[in-house]
Formats: sequence, structure tokens, C-alpha cells
Amino acid sequence: MKRVVSVSLGSSKRDHRVEVELLGEKFDIARRGTDGDFEAALALLRELDGQVDAIGLGGLDVYLYAGKKRYVLRDGLKMMEAVKVTPVVDGSGLKNTLEREVVHYLAQNTDLLKKGTKVLMVSSVDRFGMAEAMSELGCDMTFGDLIFSAGIPYPIKTVEEIEEIANKTLPELTKMPIHMLYPTGKKQETQDEEKVKKFATYYYDAEVIAGDFHLMRRFMPGGLTGQTILTNTTTAEDVEFLRDKGAGTLVTTTPEFNGRSFGTNVLEAVLVAILGKPWEGVTPEDYLDLLKRLAFEPRIVKLA
Amino acid sequence: MATHPEITESLKAFTDNFNKNPRLKIMNRDWNRVVMIKATDVDSLHTLTLFEGDVALREGPHEQPDLTVISDSETLADIFWGDKTPTEPYNDGTLRILGSEDDIIRLDFISLLIWGG
Repeated sequence: MKRVVSVSLGSSKRDHRVEVELLGEKFDIARRGTDGDFEAALALLRELDGQVDAIGLGGLDVYLYAGKKRYVLRDGLKMMEAVKVTPVVDGSGLKNTLEREVVHYLAQNTDLLKKGTKVLMVSSVDRFGMAEAMSELGCDMTFGDLIFSAGIPYPIKTVEEIEEIANKTLPELTKMPIHMLYPTGKKQETQDEEKVKKFATYYYDAEVIAGDFHLMRRFMPGGLTGQTILTNTTTAEDVEFLRDKGAGTLVTTTPEFNGRSFGTNVLEAVLVAILGKPWEGVTPEDYLDLLKRLAFEPRIVKLA
Repeated sequence: MATHPEITESLKAFTDNFNKNPRLKIMNRDWNRVVMIKATDVDSLHTLTLFEGDVALREGPHEQPDLTVISDSETLADIFWGDKTPTEPYNDGTLRILGSEDDIIRLDFISLLIWGG
């Protein structure tokens, strides 16, 4: 049996462990949160190094993308460099392939995404593939990177403007402690009530709310009117949260294992374990080929 | 070491660049804040007042600033001239900013949008 562990800066309340069989091979997949404790995450990574087949990094990204440029988050890199032997991934490689495919799948097989669909993407630089695919489809995009990460009520409307702003800000912002830019630990279980009120209109105006679940959860108002949620990491509790808020449909980009969808980092770690080659040598085609063999499709759940 | 007039000049450059940037003004229409800038090695205090998308600079302190930016004169002048980004001095403790975390991040963004790239 192959062992894959996701080490997350997120809440330990979301810890989970499942056994699944993929392409005839058994996998023990576990998620371990460190409640925002960066040092505890580093210690756990060192402990797991060499003991498991692949490690995923959750609760933060190592790599952010805008256009063809890649930005490296300093805290993420510290976590990645704590692992010397075992392949370690942050999910960004898979996001760039899988999430583009999910957008194409939804456009071709459902009426959830089409030209002109009003989409609020809470953050784009952590999943630029999805952002670009929806823009190419002709969706009416609102990118919330400045709104939800910096509190600046400025909706970005094009990927070109994301690239321009990212080019000015990300080389420096990636050096900041991750907790200043992204909800980690206990912040993932609570909402920022002041900003929920302040930014509610962006949620109400959208037909589709897409992107990182923790970020969208932290600022999501009640009284939604059947919006579609396009994200990846959800638990059964999260599904109830979305139902309570009035969301209409949940689409998760990663498959469900025993009642919950794991983060992209977990799935990428599983794929790397199946491929059995160093992460540096893995290509987008490797992932696409595996995803086809595994017959993964996005999970679509009606909430209303 | 920078002098008080040099810090003033750097802050004027920062203020001018902010006020002639229409996008920055739109972005910060909701952010009314008083920012005090204090040097640790020379007698130098300034106050930046952001109100409905415009910034005004005056020399001297403010009794109840929302944010207080504290560093040595050289670092302050470098940051407000755009010769140095605030991130490194903030991370290594050379630059201290007293205020809410949200406000600190926003000030950092503004500075990067003026001088970054």
C-alpha cells in the first residue's frame, strides 16, 4: 500500500484518513492540519520525510502564477525544503491542468458555465489555469485578489490586469508571512463579519463563485440566491455551510473520497506516487493522461 | 542617515505619485486613515492623511494615528522614494508599523502599486 500525507497549515478539525484503490493499487491517504502552527508543520514534514510515498502541502501554495510568470512564496518554499527525500507537491502543477479541464468539462457538459456567465473568482493567482480558462470561455470575470487578500474594494476584470498587478506586488508580497495574506488555522473556521458585510455585493452579483474554499468561506454572506460554487476542498460540514448560505450547486474539481473532496495538493501527491518519478520530471501531459485513465470528473452536487 | 528635509522630499514624492494615479485613488476611496511616520535617529515626524482617495502630507505628529511607521531615517527615505521595498525591513524588524494587520497589508500594497515592478 502506498502512503500519501497532506500536511496543512489549516485546522486539525479537517483531518481525515481514507483508503482507496486507484488503478489497481491501494492508497492510504491522510490529511494532517497544524492549526496555523508553521513550526509544527515543519517538524511534521521532517518526521514524514522518507517514511511515506508522497507529501502534499496544504493550507498554502508554494507557487503562484500570473501569465507565464511564477512567483515563489517564501513560507511555502521553507516547507517544501524541509522535505529532502520524499516527493513533495503543493497542488499547483495539477491545478494548472486539472482545473482548466474542469472549466472545459462544465462548459461542454452542463449549463453552469458559458459565455457571459458572471463569475466571482475570490483569488486567481493561486489557480491561474482556472482563471484563464474561464476568461477564454468569455465569462464576465471579477477577480477578487485585491478585495479578499488586501481588503481593497477593487474588482479586477481581466487576466491582463492581474498579470500587471501581480508583477508589481507579488515579488515582494510572497516574502510576507503567509498568515497575513491567507486565512490559516482557526481563521478557516470563522468569518470576518465586517468584510462579509462590506464585500457581500460581489457574491450577490455573481452567478458562479469560484476559487479557494477557505478564502470564499471567510467572506461569504448569507442570502445567496442559488449561486454555483466551484472549488476543491470541501467537507460534509462545508456542504451544509454552503447550503445554509443559499448556494445552489457545488462543483468540486477533485474527486470525492469517503464523503469529502481532498485538496489539489493531495490529489497531485497521489498522482506523483502513481507515476513514481521525481516531481521535476512530471509534465502536464503525465497528469492529463493519468486523469483520463482514472476517469476523474468533477463532482456536481445540487444543494437547493 | 537621512535628514528631516530628505524624508519630507521622499514623502512628497510618495504623495504626488499616489495622487496622480487614478487607479490608486479609486482603490482607496473607502480607506480614510491617518498615518504617522517617525524616524528613530533624527527628530522627524510627518503625517499622511488619506481621505476619500486623496493623500495629504504635513510635517509634524498626529495625536491618534491609525498607523505609525517607525524606522531609521535612511530606511524611511529609501522606502518612500521607492529605492527599497518595505517588505524586507518589515520582516527583519528594521521597520515597525503599529496598527491593524489589515491596514499594514494595505499600506504595503499601496507602496508596491506605486513603486513595484
